[in-house]
Amino acid sequence: MKRILLSVLSLFFCSLVALGQDAKPVSLTLPNAKDSIKFLAIGDTGTGSPQQRELALVMAKYRKVYPYDFAILVGDNMYGGEKADDFKKKFEEPYKDLLDAGVKFYASLGNHDESNQRFYELFNMNGEEFYRFKKGGAAFYALNSNYMDRRQIKWMTDELAKDNSGWKIAFMHHPPYSSGGRHGSSSGVRKVVEPLFIQHGVEVVFTGHEHFYERIKPQQGITYFITGAGGKLREGDIKDTSPLTAKAFDTDLSFMLIEIVKDTMHFQVISRAGETVDSGTIQRREQ
Amino acid sequence: MRNIRIISFAFAILAFLSAGASAQQVLSAADKRIIADFEKRANAYYQFRERIEGRLKKLPDNATPEQIQIYKTSFQQSVQMARRRATQGELFTPAATSLIRRIIKTEFVGWKRSELRKSVLEADTKAVPLKINVPYPESQELVEMLPQLLLVLPQMPRALRFRFVSRNLVILDRENALIIDFMRNALP
Repeated sequence: MKRILLSVLSLFFCSLVALGQDAKPVSLTLPNAKDSIKFLAIGDTGTGSPQQRELALVMAKYRKVYPYDFAILVGDNMYGGEKADDFKKKFEEPYKDLLDAGVKFYASLGNHDESNQRFYELFNMNGEEFYRFKKGGAAFYALNSNYMDRRQIKWMTDELAKDNSGWKIAFMHHPPYSSGGRHGSSSGVRKVVEPLFIQHGVEVVFTGHEHFYERIKPQQGITYFITGAGGKLREGDIKDTSPLTAKAFDTDLSFMLIEIVKDTMHFQVISRAGETVDSGTIQRREQ
Repeated sequence: MRNIRIISFAFAILAFLSAGASAQQVLSAADKRIIADFEKRANAYYQFRERIEGRLKKLPDNATPEQIQIYKTSFQQSVQMARRRATQGELFTPAATSLIRRIIKTEFVGWKRSELRKSVLEADTKAVPLKINVPYPESQELVEMLPQLLLVLPQMPRALRFRFVSRNLVILDRENALIIDFMRNALP
């Protein structure tokens, strides 16, 4: 009886939140230019919770005015189990509107993800734990920060060395820099990837693992984002005194919209309530 | 100019790999023989599981969730059946266990207890059974392996993974999720 009452209350509360979302108008800070590269970045999504679905509704709502055609997932795509039903409950159902609209998701693996996800058709990993794809003049590197072995380091070195793309963007699960109290910076990963990123002009890195949003002050010219509040939230986890933080948000779920117009990357971060919690631009550096 | 940059970068990477391989540099001839034996055993398991996988329906790179589940389950059951008489220590022999423990200890020298706890011990792996030939539970997270450590541990075929489970080290088959072998108290 108590469980039923709780479920009813939970549904009622979620409906209120959803109503609130509907009432919140879409407010775009991005230029929404013709022929620009438009995408979404999100992580730590795979709960299948009502909150994940509510955020997905906001993502779909924004797509109606800002037609991004792909999304990057920074890992933890599936919490708690990976049966066929889990793929549906934790990914296909929440993002049905986006998938139906043709949005292509590119996944990377987190510490809660089994390697077999690399075969899943809707994650577009083509059987690889780490891979590269191109969109216009931008090259995207999906990395497996959970198992960065000799093979992956060699692959990154080789691929980055021959890459002449205007924008080089990396995404992975563990954040080389973080102000999180629970996890903090993944210094082991940083020691390996940062020299490569610097050497080869990687401009921007998207990560997750921490269940909040954080934009790190540029480190050696590179901008690091944490966008790990796509399905889970660790409220109040960001250390107030961290010297790393340029902007942080840890009181609600959130996702990022990104637009690349020539040498400028624009970004906007939106919460589950539809509030814009951060926005700005990054200029591509001279190579 | 570009060539110079590439060459200098190659040197930087070599320097990084050499620095990372510091623990290996102090290995004796006997240690190297132990590593060679470990890698041979890992390869033997790999060849064995490849033969089993070859008999299963190949999983395409654009699989459905149902195909992934069927593949994993059938692969898991086939290997479990074929290895039903396997025992702990087939890869982690006493000599390999002792050497790997030493390599890990060397790599973690200077680490604060709090750092170790944050990166390894706090992970949710309590429900992982320390038994061979059983699946690593899907509900349990996979501890991030330090890249520096992976550079100095023995090299295994790509389907095999080292993973910490609390203080212990397991070898996991990434496709069928089975624990192939384990050693206790790997962490200092």
